[in-house]
Amino acid sequence: MQDATQLLLNGLSTGAVYGLFALGYTLVFSVLGVINFAHGAVFTLGAYFTYLLIGGAVGANGLLAGLQLPFALPFWLALPVAGLASAAVALVIERIAFRPLRERGADSLLALITSLGAGVVLVNLIQLLVGAESYAIPTGSLGGLPTAIQLLGAQVRTVQLLLLVVAAVLLVLLSLWIDGSRSGKALQAVAEDATTAQLLGIPSGRMIQIAFGLSGFLAGIAGGLVGLSVSIAGPYFGIGYGLKGLGVLVLGGLGSVPGAVLGGLIIGLAEACVPADLSGYRDVVAYGILFVVLLLRPQGLLGHVLPNKV
Amino acid sequence: MSARPLVIAAVGVLSALLAGCARQASDGLVIGGAVALTGNAGLLGQDARTGLDIAQQFYGQQQPRLKLVIEDTGSDEASATQAFRRLINQQVVAILGPSLSQQGFAVMPMADRAGIPVVGISTTAPGIPEIGRFVARVASPVTVIAPRSLAKALERNPRIKRVAVFFAQDDVFCSSESSIFQKAIRAKGLELVSLQRTSVSDTDFHTPINNVLRSRPDLVVISALVSDGGNLVRQLRELGYSGPIVSGNGMNTPNIYPVCQKHCDGLLITQAYNPALNNRSNTTLLQQFRRGRDAEAVPPQVTAQAFTAYQVVHEALAKVEAGLPAGSSLSQLPPERLRQQLLSTLLDGRYQTPLGEIRFTPEGEVIQKDFSVARVRMNPDGRSGRFMLLP
Repeated sequence: MQDATQLLLNGLSTGAVYGLFALGYTLVFSVLGVINFAHGAVFTLGAYFTYLLIGGAVGANGLLAGLQLPFALPFWLALPVAGLASAAVALVIERIAFRPLRERGADSLLALITSLGAGVVLVNLIQLLVGAESYAIPTGSLGGLPTAIQLLGAQVRTVQLLLLVVAAVLLVLLSLWIDGSRSGKALQAVAEDATTAQLLGIPSGRMIQIAFGLSGFLAGIAGGLVGLSVSIAGPYFGIGYGLKGLGVLVLGGLGSVPGAVLGGLIIGLAEACVPADLSGYRDVVAYGILFVVLLLRPQGLLGHVLPNKV
Repeated sequence: MSARPLVIAAVGVLSALLAGCARQASDGLVIGGAVALTGNAGLLGQDARTGLDIAQQFYGQQQPRLKLVIEDTGSDEASATQAFRRLINQQVVAILGPSLSQQGFAVMPMADRAGIPVVGISTTAPGIPEIGRFVARVASPVTVIAPRSLAKALERNPRIKRVAVFFAQDDVFCSSESSIFQKAIRAKGLELVSLQRTSVSDTDFHTPINNVLRSRPDLVVISALVSDGGNLVRQLRELGYSGPIVSGNGMNTPNIYPVCQKHCDGLLITQAYNPALNNRSNTTLLQQFRRGRDAEAVPPQVTAQAFTAYQVVHEALAKVEAGLPAGSSLSQLPPERLRQQLLSTLLDGRYQTPLGEIRFTPEGEVIQKDFSVARVRMNPDGRSGRFMLLP
């Protein structure tokens, strides 16, 4: 029982990160039909923003060596502010890497490449400014909370539980907004058919910006939380999560919000179930599941088959 | 829009790039530094770069004057291949690097085929010098290094019986280091109670850590790189492990401090570098390293090894130059002959370096006498610390 609880908690907390990551991909994909490859870089930025906002100083290897903000926010405040800053960056990416191509009616494959380019530029810019060294959000950032707690007989780090809770809250809020608000329904309409939505008076461009902003916000929050959990291992640390998030996105079903979360949890749980002596092969299990699911259900677990438009 | 301006701009950019390449290749004797400045091993590479830069500042003022060109090998074999190709194309006289043994096995044969001496800085896996005639290294092999920290842990606590091992299975150095650790564990009659394979790209170690904690080890031994290893140590401590931890050479840098923070405290790591060594090279290294840093700052081992790699090549070239007829210089020698002479002189010499006195076997393996084991001591701020050498 204790082992099962431990596995479940480990899997859920890992899956929550993947799910949060994939949600960002999903939002953009649902409105544009394109995967935003710069999402991993925004995630990375979120971690760096959080680090700087809590009063962290830049190390010795970047152009901004020694830089420290004149104030230090508590982690609880720094995290949403970092999310907002990441959202702003995501909006800039939309403006320079997606909108010009969209306005010219370019093939969506080109937006894929420009987003990849934007991601590479961002990561290298981070390295240029703050160096390649690791940065850590101090372990005591959660105030008086203990570093680990016993839950149903299992030992779990507090930050992992926090990740799980934040991911769940964000998912619920996002679902409520999408299904229960006018703007959320407008987003769904744009996702269905942007041109028709525009004709019906829905500002498609604005809705796409909202999708990018939300996507960036989620990435920033996820980056800050992961940074707290495992430190910021240099400008490239978002790449691994980006690849896994991409797999989760496809597994859950392209463009499906609940699918992104379900996919994240499945991959997280599957990885946690890998036997100890094979733990180095976790990725094989994750992508193996993806492979099998796609063979049986190419649209993903909760995705829909898109009809060919004539 | 007409395509002509775009074509003109493209031609202009290409011409500028080619001109830049040509200029780089035409400047005298060039020594190449190939270190990982990006990716998982970026922290290790930055330490090496510091050592190379300090050596260049010092030896750059002495004959023969060398120009140092540093290429980023990234942390994977493909990027390292590109970096080595660029250095080989620049006709460098020797290459110092790469950072990882995994990369070494991929790229050192390239330098060997090109007849360019290559001196590994931190490539400690077995089999590196055997790659080829032109391959040497200043990093002592892991077979020499690894067992010492294990022995020190047992010396400090003879009651240790049960040992758990973590290693990054996707890195050839970590795998080979771990197999040496495991062999030493068995040789000392200890029980290997848990063996966990991880990946250098892993960040979440809950599952393997919980497996290890269930096996109730008296000692944990880790073979990993800075980022993954630092995270592993942090999570291991946060989840309740309070026993001793021995870590391998991949975590042998102060760059682990920001990763495992206060939890780095107590790590045992074998050191090939003793900052207290009193010789000219080490004094130079310490003085240059402390400029702009704390007066007590100590260079990481990799920084000392990088400095040493540059030093041995420079001293060997100086000997070659001293043997030339009056009025001639190294750059007048045919490149193949120069590199042959550099190699044979390099392998014949004895060097007083920051690592102590070193020399090479005919195969290019370094022979170093002095080692010690350090215990990481973190300061109360949890962000800075020291490698305290144990008696």
